[in-house]
Amino acid sequence: MLFVFKTAYEQDFGLFKHAIQRNCYLVLLVLLVVAPFVLERFYIGELSELFIWCIAGTGLMLLVGYTGLVSLGHAAFMALGAYTNVILNKYGVPFPISIILAAFFSGACGLVIGVAALRMTGIYLAVATLAFAYIVEKFIGQGGSFTGGHRGFRVENFEYFGVYLNDPVVFYIICLITLLVTLWLLGNLLRSPTGRAFVAIRDSEISAQAMGIDLVRYKTLSFALSAGITGMAGALYAYKIGYLYPETFTIFTSIKLLMLVVVGGLGSMHGIVFGAMFISLLPQIIALVRDLLPIWISQRRGLEPFVFGSILIAFLIFEPKGIYGRWVKIRLFFSQFPMYRKSTFKRQKSFLRTERVH
Amino acid sequence: MTLLVADSISISFGGVKAVNQVSFAVKQGELFSIMGPNGAGKTTVLNLISRFYDVDEGNLTFEGEDITQVKTHQVATKGIARTFQNTELFEHETVLSNLLIAHQQHKNTGLFSEMFFLPKVKRQELSFRRRAEDIIDLLDLQGYRDQMISSLPFGIRKVTELARALSLEPKLLLLDEPSSGLNPEETEDLSFWIEDIKEELGITIIMVEHDMNLLSQVSDRVLVMADGSELTTGTPEEATSHPDVIKAYLGD
Repeated sequence: MLFVFKTAYEQDFGLFKHAIQRNCYLVLLVLLVVAPFVLERFYIGELSELFIWCIAGTGLMLLVGYTGLVSLGHAAFMALGAYTNVILNKYGVPFPISIILAAFFSGACGLVIGVAALRMTGIYLAVATLAFAYIVEKFIGQGGSFTGGHRGFRVENFEYFGVYLNDPVVFYIICLITLLVTLWLLGNLLRSPTGRAFVAIRDSEISAQAMGIDLVRYKTLSFALSAGITGMAGALYAYKIGYLYPETFTIFTSIKLLMLVVVGGLGSMHGIVFGAMFISLLPQIIALVRDLLPIWISQRRGLEPFVFGSILIAFLIFEPKGIYGRWVKIRLFFSQFPMYRKSTFKRQKSFLRTERVH
Repeated sequence: MTLLVADSISISFGGVKAVNQVSFAVKQGELFSIMGPNGAGKTTVLNLISRFYDVDEGNLTFEGEDITQVKTHQVATKGIARTFQNTELFEHETVLSNLLIAHQQHKNTGLFSEMFFLPKVKRQELSFRRRAEDIIDLLDLQGYRDQMISSLPFGIRKVTELARALSLEPKLLLLDEPSSGLNPEETEDLSFWIEDIKEELGITIIMVEHDMNLLSQVSDRVLVMADGSELTTGTPEEATSHPDVIKAYLGD
């Protein structure tokens, strides 16, 4: 077993727990930087998409995993980001600026929606965000030549200094940098007062108030940040798929995002990456398995949503902490071998909580 | 000097008058206890002071300032901290970050400096961390610093909650049944801590309590309530020997 001896208070809020962990991530980073130069085109594209899902997942994880609010409409923020980015490009705004503006616009929409919707909690908030997503979808559909209407439009390719944006390697590097920056910003936020305030609201709103945390302010902030990050993922996604129309971002996208955070593991940054791997790999696995299945199953429509749904339910029942939770258990099993006890993670009977005052 | 004045405060839930025209004044540095049979409205009084409930009638004045309309989250900033009867901690966090959440009400960093974790934020984190360590030392929580709340026994949770309230650096501390769920040894430790908090940190305390020993050991004055109304106020001996109080507890 590895014991970390702390000798300075700085160690309590470092981004990495110890040197070994930091070095592992450095190795991973080197592998990711080298990857586009050795892998085939197809895999580079798949990895870029994985990074985009990671960014979108970061946005939703902040809201669901760290602030404890549920949104069923995050596809709308992806759509807002994607359309804003592409439309800005059409009017001649260069790509690096347009993606930031897209994130800000999406975040601003999140702020406005947040102010209105965050009076609600739980299922009511989920339904309100669902309605918002539906409105955005219809709005884009009715946008005429500005948004391309229901038929959509092709995303123009860009060239700066002889480098094409849709070149797989270039796009891969843009996605990787965006993801690293997003994760770094989230990590920083979580180890500073604002992040702790979010977590406090998730765990007990009553206590958070008694600790002087303004619920409305922090919930709205979390919603806006979450919308902004997801919008940025949408902006990148537009270039990944190359063609935008309103049905690109539907309720199924929202559910996929929610699944990403739940299956990955609520309230963990590793969970984002695990979850994104899961939702971007699963369709490939289903496609592979489809060939082996008898024809009366494999040709059925809705096989993919069915598999997605069953896995989500299985996770909720058997491993509510998600893939990351399972990973923690496996790691402990090997580090304590042969002393591991199954009951370590047994959920304790919870003590009676103070009667809710509201 | 008077720190907190409750001037005939009332609140009713539907037809039930939970608190009916209760008045009291708490002096600076005093330990003021509230006792009474179940359903007397003791916790409701605490909820009124910490602004979880709106007062129907009457006024609350803290340090000469009317706090009857203040928002719930601003109460902490004014210098009033509280604990809850069955603990209300941030379950999926460590003891340390529970304390840090309380410390951060004095933060002076904005969202952007925190996102980039500028040196200013780092210095602030260090100062919070040092102050958290002082409280950990005071209440002997060294062994639990990095443990998750969800894995702690109830007694330690109670102490952690007391530590978290102290981390707000309050002028007035509201304790809701601090000894409930504690064994006799833990209760004895608690009575010493309460005295330390009062004498050494100079914090005024309002405490709702059932344990008569603890109550008479530490309190300066006791307010006895029954069915939402005040029966009597006085020293622990005066209050417990008052005929109305004996009647309320034992019947006619």
